[in-house]
Amino acid sequence: MNTRKLRSEAKLWLVAIPILLWTLIPIYHIFLFSISSKDSAFSGALWPDKPTLRNFGTVFRQEHFYLHHFWNQIWNSLWIALAVGAITLAVATCAAFAISRLKVRGGRTVMNAALFTYFIPAAFLAVPMYKAMGAYGLLNSRWSLVLAMVTLASPYAIWVLKQASDKLPWELDEAARIDGATPLQLFRLVYMPLMTPSLVAIGTYAVLLAWNEYLYAFLLLSHENTIPLAVGLGHFLASDDSPWEILMATALIYALPPAAIYYVFRRYMVGGLTSGAVKS
Amino acid sequence: MASVSFREVRKDFEKTAVLHGISLDIADGEFMVLVGPSGCGKSTLLRMLAGLEEISGGTIAIDGRIVNDVDSKDRDVAMVFQSYALYPHMTVRENMGFSLRLRKEDSKLIEERVSQAARILNLEPYLDRYPRELSGGQRQRVAMGRAIVRDPKVFLFDEPLSNLDAKLRVAMRAEIKALHQRLKTTTVYVTHDQVEAMTMADRIAVVNDGRIEQFGTPLDLYDRPVNLFVAQFIGSPAMNILEGAFAKSGDSSCVKALGHRWPVESSGGTDGQAVKYGLRPEHIGVDGSGGIGAEVVVVEPTGAQTELVVRVADVSLTVVTHGRANLRPGDKLSLSPEARHAHVFDPATGRSI
Repeated sequence: MNTRKLRSEAKLWLVAIPILLWTLIPIYHIFLFSISSKDSAFSGALWPDKPTLRNFGTVFRQEHFYLHHFWNQIWNSLWIALAVGAITLAVATCAAFAISRLKVRGGRTVMNAALFTYFIPAAFLAVPMYKAMGAYGLLNSRWSLVLAMVTLASPYAIWVLKQASDKLPWELDEAARIDGATPLQLFRLVYMPLMTPSLVAIGTYAVLLAWNEYLYAFLLLSHENTIPLAVGLGHFLASDDSPWEILMATALIYALPPAAIYYVFRRYMVGGLTSGAVKS
Repeated sequence: MASVSFREVRKDFEKTAVLHGISLDIADGEFMVLVGPSGCGKSTLLRMLAGLEEISGGTIAIDGRIVNDVDSKDRDVAMVFQSYALYPHMTVRENMGFSLRLRKEDSKLIEERVSQAARILNLEPYLDRYPRELSGGQRQRVAMGRAIVRDPKVFLFDEPLSNLDAKLRVAMRAEIKALHQRLKTTTVYVTHDQVEAMTMADRIAVVNDGRIEQFGTPLDLYDRPVNLFVAQFIGSPAMNILEGAFAKSGDSSCVKALGHRWPVESSGGTDGQAVKYGLRPEHIGVDGSGGIGAEVVVVEPTGAQTELVVRVADVSLTVVTHGRANLRPGDKLSLSPEARHAHVFDPATGRSI
């Protein structure tokens, strides 16, 4: 290896190592807490004297005051995330197809308007959203969070899918039309299969966005049986003497599904999110 | 099978007119080629027939039925695209059977039609492959297969061979022609390559600048071009064009150009009228003597014939001689133009005189 290559690699490492530490230390911290007993959690050691899995047992058996609804809440998280993923995909795919392939009149305006919503911070919309859900009588229903998250996820989803569908060769649509396809058949038999990588990426994006959401969940849902786990975790901090080791064990469990999803679909994520991000 | 007729068909994009009232009649079973330089509107005309472009004015009829307001899918036409436009997520079999599947045909019938088309096109070994696993020529055949299985009223080809290499193009040219002779389906074929047009067509329409310059059989266009554009567009190597003036005395007439008298048989025109004189390279003899003196500039032997670039008074002319010419650059020649093959055009209108 020549010195030039070595030097450029060294520069890369100089950037990579801090980023790696920055990312991994908190995760390690969570892990460390989750395998420590209550007494040794704050010992400051890099590895507990007696690592234990009891914290996880406590969580799974709902044996703590803050965890009485653990299974219920993780089910809520899952339910909401999957619903948001499905609805966002349905909305965004249809919108992207209509704008990009059917060239619906005013499609550009719709897309620009959708993107414009990102100029308004999500926190800013929280109160109006709360009022709106209240008006529809949806407060404290999981649907309120689903609808709110679909609203937040859709513009980006439409934008990415529109860019991706612009890249599909136009002749395919024409060939299908001549072959006798109606717009719906074109959508189902040609468009959807070719868009699969982008659809997986956007679906994952929406699922993870909803899974990780705290603010809106906290705001729109308040009953212990309807809140997702993210809000449930927040409740831990309400007490003066928080059971940190159990909080971290729960947090670790909570972090696993996104990691698994990302791992399974990583191929699509990188390709799907960047493809169509830039107009080539 | 069906006849196709265009009546005063117009196309405007925004405010620019790209087709100015095209009228054409294509007979049942005919192989009609639309040829012209790029941007002349030939593809637009084909796409209008396919229903992929709106018709701004006039009517298009397939088998006597006006299709202006008929959807592509209900026109019963099949199209082969330049880019093949195969569905990448379907196998060759699925690609070819797609239109029948959309029509909810019986799966046994689909299978039968697909394998029949595959047999005609020698695609049988590739039926379960995906388009990305095929060569350019095979993809082209799949695109044709997709058209064949439908047994449509009209085949449309939009520059189908321009993505292929030269050798394959010649082979596919013959295949398409053989296919047409076998199926006898009315075909409209768009190309910018006049050789393709000449070799394949029953009749050719030369399109230029949104108008049809001439419509006729290949040899008709070659022998009797109605204007300068067709004369120069059809034929390879291209026709020699000289600027000159008529010189008429009694019954005999000729064109004076480059300080020489070039014989013609044309009966029109007046003495002294400025004209353009056209003569194809193979209609200039080089064997005689006492003709027009010329100097050889370039010798291009191709085996069966020899192309010469010669110079007469600082103007280059192309001459084709059959067999092999024992000539070198710098040699002197005597050119003897064949009067009965000479063309004379009005320089202002470009029309044949």
